[in-house]
Amino acid sequence: MLRDYISLAIKNLSKKRLRTYLTMIGIFIGIAAVVALIGLGEGLKTAITSQFGFLGTDVLSVQAASVGFSGPPGAGAPNPLSDELAEKIEEINNVDMAFNRYLASATIEFREKQKIEFVISLVTGENRRDFERMLNLKMQEGRMLTDQDDKGILLGDNYHKGATYGATFDRPIHAGDKVLINGKQFNVIGIIEKKGSFIFDDAIWMNDDVMINEGIRKDDGTIDTLGIRVKDASRIEQTQKDIEELLRKERDVDEGEEDFTVQTAQKALESLKSALFAVQLFVTIIALISLVVGGIGIMNTMYTAVLERTREIGIMKSIGAKNSTIFTLFAIESGFLGLVGGIIGIILGLTLAYGLAFIGSFALGSDLIQANVSMELILGALAFSFTLGTVFGLLPAIRASKLHPVDALRRVK
Amino acid sequence: MTIIKLDEIKYALQNLSQRKTRSFLSIVSILIGIAAVFALISFGMGIKSYINTLAEESGTNKLLITAKGIGAPGTDDTFALSQEDVDFVDKINGIDDISGMYYKISEVTFRDKNKYIYMIGLNLDKIDFIMQGMNIDIEKGRALKKGDAYKAVLGYNYILDNKVFSKGLQIGDKIFIDDVNFEVIGFYSSVGNPTDDSQIYITSEMFEQLYPDKKDKYAVIMASTEQGFETKEVANKVTERLRKFKGQEEGKEDFYVQTFEDAIATFSSVINILNGVLVLIALISVVVASVNIMNTMYTSVLERTKEIGIMKAVGARNNDILFIFLLESGAIGMLGGIIGVLLGYAVASIGAGYAAGAGFSALKPIFPWTLIAGCILFSFAVGAGSGLLPAIRASKLKPVDSLRYE
Repeated sequence: MLRDYISLAIKNLSKKRLRTYLTMIGIFIGIAAVVALIGLGEGLKTAITSQFGFLGTDVLSVQAASVGFSGPPGAGAPNPLSDELAEKIEEINNVDMAFNRYLASATIEFREKQKIEFVISLVTGENRRDFERMLNLKMQEGRMLTDQDDKGILLGDNYHKGATYGATFDRPIHAGDKVLINGKQFNVIGIIEKKGSFIFDDAIWMNDDVMINEGIRKDDGTIDTLGIRVKDASRIEQTQKDIEELLRKERDVDEGEEDFTVQTAQKALESLKSALFAVQLFVTIIALISLVVGGIGIMNTMYTAVLERTREIGIMKSIGAKNSTIFTLFAIESGFLGLVGGIIGIILGLTLAYGLAFIGSFALGSDLIQANVSMELILGALAFSFTLGTVFGLLPAIRASKLHPVDALRRVK
Repeated sequence: MTIIKLDEIKYALQNLSQRKTRSFLSIVSILIGIAAVFALISFGMGIKSYINTLAEESGTNKLLITAKGIGAPGTDDTFALSQEDVDFVDKINGIDDISGMYYKISEVTFRDKNKYIYMIGLNLDKIDFIMQGMNIDIEKGRALKKGDAYKAVLGYNYILDNKVFSKGLQIGDKIFIDDVNFEVIGFYSSVGNPTDDSQIYITSEMFEQLYPDKKDKYAVIMASTEQGFETKEVANKVTERLRKFKGQEEGKEDFYVQTFEDAIATFSSVINILNGVLVLIALISVVVASVNIMNTMYTSVLERTKEIGIMKAVGARNNDILFIFLLESGAIGMLGGIIGVLLGYAVASIGAGYAAGAGFSALKPIFPWTLIAGCILFSFAVGAGSGLLPAIRASKLKPVDSLRYE
C-alpha cells in the first residue's frame, strides 16, 4: 500500500520535472548553507575550546575576579590570590595537589628581532610530572625541563615553524638555540608539540622559581591562577564547595559576594561554548530563513499540483479513495521533495564546508578554520528537510483531501 | 503604443490577483529575505555612521601611544610609559596637546556589592583635551577639579538601575574604591558600550596616592597634532623619536603608536566584514526566493499557453508577451520588496531596543532613503530577473502549437 503511494508520488513529481527541480533547488540551497555553516561553526568551536590546556574531569582552577574579557586568566585582578593558598587548599579532603601558576609578559629576542609574548610557569618539585601530564605537554624536539634548568625554557610550536602564517619569528628556533628574555640569555631546552592553540603555541615555559628569581614575574606574594587536582573526580563538586568556603574565610567575603571563581575545567569550557553557541545560533537563524523560503516554495508547488490534479482527485475519490488516502498521497509527495532536496543539500553542504576549510587552512595556515560535520548534524538536517517538506505540504494536502468529489469532477480546466 | 502597454500592465496585475495563493506565497518568499537583508544592512550602516561621528567628534588629529602587554590596557604593567616619555613626545614638532592616562582594574563597592571595573586617573590640566578625545561630557553633577581628594566621576551606566549596580547612583553617594571611601560628584555621558560606560574617573594625584606602585606608569598617552601637520607622519615621527629616546631598536619597541583614524579604520573594516558575511548568508534566502518566483512563472506560462496563443493570434508580438510576464514577476518582486522593507524596519527597531537594553546603545540602525529605495529596487530586479527565462519561453511559443495545447 505504502509502496503504491510512494511510486505514485514519484510518478507525479517526475511528470512535472522542471517544477520539481526548481522546488528542490530551493530546499537544497538552504540545507547546504545550514550544514556548511554549522559544520564550520563546530570546527571553530573545537579549535577554540582546544585552546584550553586543562582538560580532564579531576581538575579545578581558582582565579581572582577581574573585569571580564580583559586578558588572560587572573591578569590585572585588584585582589590577587596569595601564594599561601595552595598549602591551605591541599589540606582539604579529596584535594590531591594544588599548585601556583604565574603568567607574565616579557620580551623575547632572537637574532636581532624582538617580540612581546607571555611566559607561563611550570611547576617545580615532585609535582612536575603530574603537572606536565595534566597539561598533556609533549615534546617535538629536545626534552622537558628539570628543577636544575635555571636558565632553560621550553617554547611553543609557533617559535619553531618559521616564516609561515602565525609564526612568532621569521626564522625557526630549535632546541639548543639561545634567546634573550627581558634582556637575559636563556637556553631553549625543548619545543612543545603543536597544540593548535594560540595560548600554548605562543607561550614561553619556564620553571616557576626561575620566573620569580629572574624578575620576570614580580615577587609580591601573589599568584595569577591556582591549579588543583582532586583525588576522586566523582566528588569534585563537593571539593569545589569546600574550596569556595575556605577562600571566603581567607578573603573575608560573604556568600554571593565572592571576588574569586573556582571552576572545573568542564565548567570553564561550557561557559565559553555557550558564548560561541549564541553566535552560531544567530548565524544559523539567518541561514534558516532561506529554508523557510524553500518551504514556501514547496507549499506553492503543492498548491499548484492540487489545482492541476483536481479532476484526478475527483476521480480517485469517486472510485473509493478516502480523504486520508488523498492526504497521504500529497503529504508523501511534499515530504519527498523535502527529503531529496535535503540529501542533495547535505552532499553540497559537506563539500562546501570541507572545501572552505581546506582553502581556509591552506591560505591562512590557521587551525581555526576547520570543518566538523557530525553524524547528528547530517541526520538532523535530513529529518529537518523531510519535516519541512511535509509541514509545508500540509495545507495543500488538507485542501486536496477535503475536495468534494462531485465538484472536483465537474471542475473544468 | 502607450495604450497597449497600459493594457498589458493591467492584464499582468489581474493575472497576479487571479492566482492569489500562488502570488501571495511568492511575495512572502521574497519579502522574508529582503527584510533580513534590510535589517542587517541598516545595523551595519548605523554602526558605520556612529563610528564616523565618533571620529569627527574626537578629532582626526589624535594619536594614541599604548604600552605593549597582554590583555587590555591597565591589566598588565610590565611595560609602561612615564611622564618623561610624555614630556619628550610633547617637544616633538607637530604635537599640540598631550596627556598620559592611568588605567587600572579596581574593585568598587556600593552598598556592600563589589564590582570590578576600569579606574582611570586623569591629568586635570588636560581634562578638556581628554574628554574631547574620549568623546564624553558631563551628564550630571560636575567634572573633577584640582584638589578633588576622594571624589570620583562615574561612567553613564552607574546612573541606571540594574546596570553596574542593582540601584542607580546619585550625586553625593558614597562608594568604596579598593576599600577607600569616595564621594560621587558627577556622571559622564554615554559612550554606548558597557565597558566604557562602567569606567570610574579620579584625579591622577588621587590615583597615585591610591596605587603608589602604579605611579609614573601610564598605560596610554593621548596626543593631538597641530594644525597643518599630517597625523600619520607625526605618528611615525613619534615612534622613531620615542624609540631612540627609550634606547630601543627598531622592531623592539615596548609601545606602539596608533592614530585615531587607523584605530577607527581597523574597527570599521572588521565591522564591515562581519556585516558583509551576515548579509551574504541572508542573501541566500533571496536566491531561494528567486528560484520560487521562477517556478511560479513557469507554472503560470504553462497554464496560460492557450491564452498566449490567442493573444499572438490576434496580433501580440513576442515583445508584448515578454513584457507582460516580466512585469508580472517584477510586480511580485516589488511588492515583496515594499513589504520586506517595512518588516525589516520593524525587526531592526525591535533589535535596537534589545541592544540598548543590554548597554549597547551604539548598536543603532539607520534607515537612509537610499537603503529603502535600494532594497525595493533590488527586489524588483530579482523578481524581474527570475521571470526572465519563463517570459522568454512564453514569448517564443508558436501561436499554432499554443492554441492546440490542452
